[in-house]
Amino acid sequence: MRTQFDVIVVGAGNGGLAAAATTARAGLSTLLLEKHNVPGGSASTFRRGRFEFEPSLHELCSVGTKENPQKIYNIFKELGCEIDWRYEYNTFRAICDGEDGYDVKLRAGFDNFCDDMEKAVPGSRESVKAFFDLVKKNDEALAYVYEKKGNPNPLVMLFKHADFLKSASHSTEEVEIALGMPEKARNIMNTYWGYLGVPTDDLNAMHYLSMVGSYVDDGAAMPYKRSHELSLALEKSITDAGGEVWYNAQVSKFLYKEDGSCCGVQLQDGTELYAKEIISNIIPNNVYGMSDPKFVPEKELKLANARTLGMTFVTIYVGLDCSKEELGIEDYTIFKMPFPNPREQFNRREEGTYYVFNCLNEVIPDASPKGTCMLFFTVPLMPGDLPENLTQYNYKKWKNELAEVYIKDCEKSMGFDIMSHIEEISVATPVSFARYLGTPNGEVYGYQNENWDSVINRSQAQFTDFTVPHLHYCGGHSVMGDGFSSAYITGHDTGIRVVNSIKGGK
Amino acid sequence: MKKPSLRTLNPAKFLKAGPNREARIMATEAKPLPKLNEYPANKIAIALHPKKQVVKVTNIVERASGVKSYTLKATTDTPIAYFSAGQYIVVNLQIGDYLLTRPYSISSSPKQAQVDNEYELTVKRVDGGLASNYILDNWTIGTEVTISAPAGNFTYEPLRDAKTVVGLAGGSGITPFVSLAKAIADGDEDANLMLLYGCATKNDMLFKDELDAICEKCDKVKVVYVLSNDKLEGAEEGFLSAELIKKYAPEGDYSVFICGPQGMYNYLDTQLPLLGLRKKFIRHELFGEYRNPQANADYPECVEKSVKITVVCRGDATTIEADTNDTILVSIEKAGIPAPARCRSGSCGWCRAKLTSGDVYIPKDVDGRKLADYDYGYIHPCCSFPLSDITIEIFKK
Ligand SMILES: Cc1cc2nc3c(=O)[nH]c(=O)nc-3n(C[C@H](O)[C@H](O)[C@H](O)COP(=O)(O)OP(=O)(O)OC[C@H]3O[C@@H](n4cnc5c(N)ncnc54)[C@H](O)[C@@H]3O)c2cc1C
Ligand code: FES
Repeated sequence: MRTQFDVIVVGAGNGGLAAAATTARAGLSTLLLEKHNVPGGSASTFRRGRFEFEPSLHELCSVGTKENPQKIYNIFKELGCEIDWRYEYNTFRAICDGEDGYDVKLRAGFDNFCDDMEKAVPGSRESVKAFFDLVKKNDEALAYVYEKKGNPNPLVMLFKHADFLKSASHSTEEVEIALGMPEKARNIMNTYWGYLGVPTDDLNAMHYLSMVGSYVDDGAAMPYKRSHELSLALEKSITDAGGEVWYNAQVSKFLYKEDGSCCGVQLQDGTELYAKEIISNIIPNNVYGMSDPKFVPEKELKLANARTLGMTFVTIYVGLDCSKEELGIEDYTIFKMPFPNPREQFNRREEGTYYVFNCLNEVIPDASPKGTCMLFFTVPLMPGDLPENLTQYNYKKWKNELAEVYIKDCEKSMGFDIMSHIEEISVATPVSFARYLGTPNGEVYGYQNENWDSVINRSQAQFTDFTVPHLHYCGGHSVMGDGFSSAYITGHDTGIRVVNSIKGGK
Repeated sequence: MKKPSLRTLNPAKFLKAGPNREARIMATEAKPLPKLNEYPANKIAIALHPKKQVVKVTNIVERASGVKSYTLKATTDTPIAYFSAGQYIVVNLQIGDYLLTRPYSISSSPKQAQVDNEYELTVKRVDGGLASNYILDNWTIGTEVTISAPAGNFTYEPLRDAKTVVGLAGGSGITPFVSLAKAIADGDEDANLMLLYGCATKNDMLFKDELDAICEKCDKVKVVYVLSNDKLEGAEEGFLSAELIKKYAPEGDYSVFICGPQGMYNYLDTQLPLLGLRKKFIRHELFGEYRNPQANADYPECVEKSVKITVVCRGDATTIEADTNDTILVSIEKAGIPAPARCRSGSCGWCRAKLTSGDVYIPKDVDGRKLADYDYGYIHPCCSFPLSDITIEIFKK
């Protein structure tokens, strides 16, 4: 058994897979370690009866098409992965209860979206259009920042990219209000906040814009055989290039040299493995827990303390013994909200019924056998939200009761007869995510992207936040925040950085 | 109307964002972070799904000739993992060099796990069997055993199943139903159980006293004994036929849960269609070890009796001899190579491994792989048979 590598990557989540594929394909001897027996972390699948459920992916942004490829499409291509992409060209349908409620559906494409919004909120068009105009301005500014390796000339920024600076330092709602967007249009526009986990009054406008912009511009993409297809394609990319992937290989310790640099890891079974560079796809909090405290820089510990753990979920996966047509389902994504305002949705999440409803067959008709369909409910939760008296003994009862509330709400508000058709059901909670991902309190989104710790602020500080030599971080907890695309991009970027440092001393 | 613009926002705020963040971080105390197993979600996850549990045999009851129940109690202060009636645990055994695992349904109640920190397993002697006979001949009071966390989906799901479960049990397939009956009587499951228990003779009936006692005190549980080769007062004669099920099933919807020997499944395959039940109302326990693949119509011709399997684990390769009539998993275990496994029925994915060369036969009815696994060469060795020399990459147990 080989114990010395150029690169060891810990965790085969989306970030770790992309990082390991990048280093392996650059010719570095690469070992990817994963505690579970499948790759992907959140990006996997599980089977129940004749259904294979997608556990996490609603929509992947920044993919694009063969004709108009975007970042993710290009990364997969560069890494030699063939993916059977499928697309959804509606952004969402949003149903909001109450007096000031609404039921709207918005198509992708900037013009379509503006038309649909104008129909829902007359007089909103100009402001919505202006909002999307910022996407392009942001891209230009970001390209410049990137070119300057995160250290742009402030004067160039102030004069050439002032709008970018404004949206990069203000919350989504501040920007929308400045643009004169009517309240109702803001609420509809901000429907996606749950994908990033931070209500839009504290969510960086630039960050939100780049996500919404991508969904509206290119639509959303999904792999035909669910996330597992993406993960296996990346795994193959690693092994084809001579890299090794070890499953059932839980890292229990990070190893350091006396000078404080990271030099390897120890597995739970005691095996010690060494590398020139270590890439962690697991959250820094966990790395610190597996490191001798004297090697954890004080500032990193302060940063971890200053941050809030990111969002987690209760998710309900349902296989029905009837087709979506029989039920009258016509939408892939429906956001259901008890209140129109994101902050209220967030603060009152425990009393309300805020959830995302998905029906994969809408995008991939044969995702389940003929005459059946699959539903996926996602309820956002904060990691501290579990009931205090929850134990292993009342856990199943609790999650079933919760699932029933959401399914019944869906029956009532959307009129679908679900209960009597349930052939398979599985309910995941923060406990499930804690089990499979091993994250603190089952968080899924890393750290909250509160505006003080926004993606843009993180990226400016990325070389000063984490200072342990030869230890790098990638994934949903890192610079770009949560999401499949962010994890792939940070994994790929980190891989490139490591390749450069080993090969070129850069 | 004015053209929308960001005039009212201050770009200079951007320049302060970095320093403000830095100041906020530096003003935070560098407290040690909570340990992972101190977070509530992780605590429950670890309690329900420990990597392994070490237990000790504390009681043995002879249920019938060749059938014994073993009480397995936790050996540490950590509570034994709770479970849902109908789940199984995996027992690890070493017989000479042969390392093997076997799933056994838990026949005790969830309550007993919660209160007394113990599970009961019930083991039946199998002609020519290995693990079961080994257990019956070797486990005594005090034997220490390493077992898995509870697993499996043969459980009552209130959002999915009908209020009444018609349980069709055959022989030692009664075990998960005993657990379910107890759970209902304890108020831990909210369902009705109409149990039809098929056995050859009255000497083969297991748990009769326990089941009768439960029926006595709980009117949600009813048991009908069905003897194919014997007579008993109050019992039905014959097999678990569609007619019999109709006779005892309630009006309206009911779920059929089935656990028993292969012969019973085969017979029920002819009977269940007569009931016109929707698929969602029929649930099978796992089939267990797959035998005699050659008997299947789609099994290829001219397969050698013996082939070579090269087993790669973490870069190290070992080549072993294998009988094409054994599953790949069994051959690996016989060679003393530790390999992960749980359900041994093709469905849980625990044994998942990568076939890097050679051909295998996978019976269609037990092929529980994920879609993308087909494209990337992954198989479940517990229900795959080698057809040629093969190379397979397994993951460490
Ligand atoms: C229900 C749900 C819905 C979501 N919906 C979307 C969506 O629609 N669109 C979108 O873009 N994103 C979505 N996400 C978010 C997205 O899945 C994540 O942000 C992204 O997958 C994070 O990737 P990651 O690289 O950080 O890895 P993670 O998925 O966190 O994986 C980390 C890996 O490390 C392994 N590991 C942990 N500890 C150890 C150890 N000690 N030793 C070895 N290995 C270890 C874990 O097993 C895991 O495989 C969703 C997530 C969930 C759960
Ligand atoms: S052990 Fe469950 S699929 Fe093989």
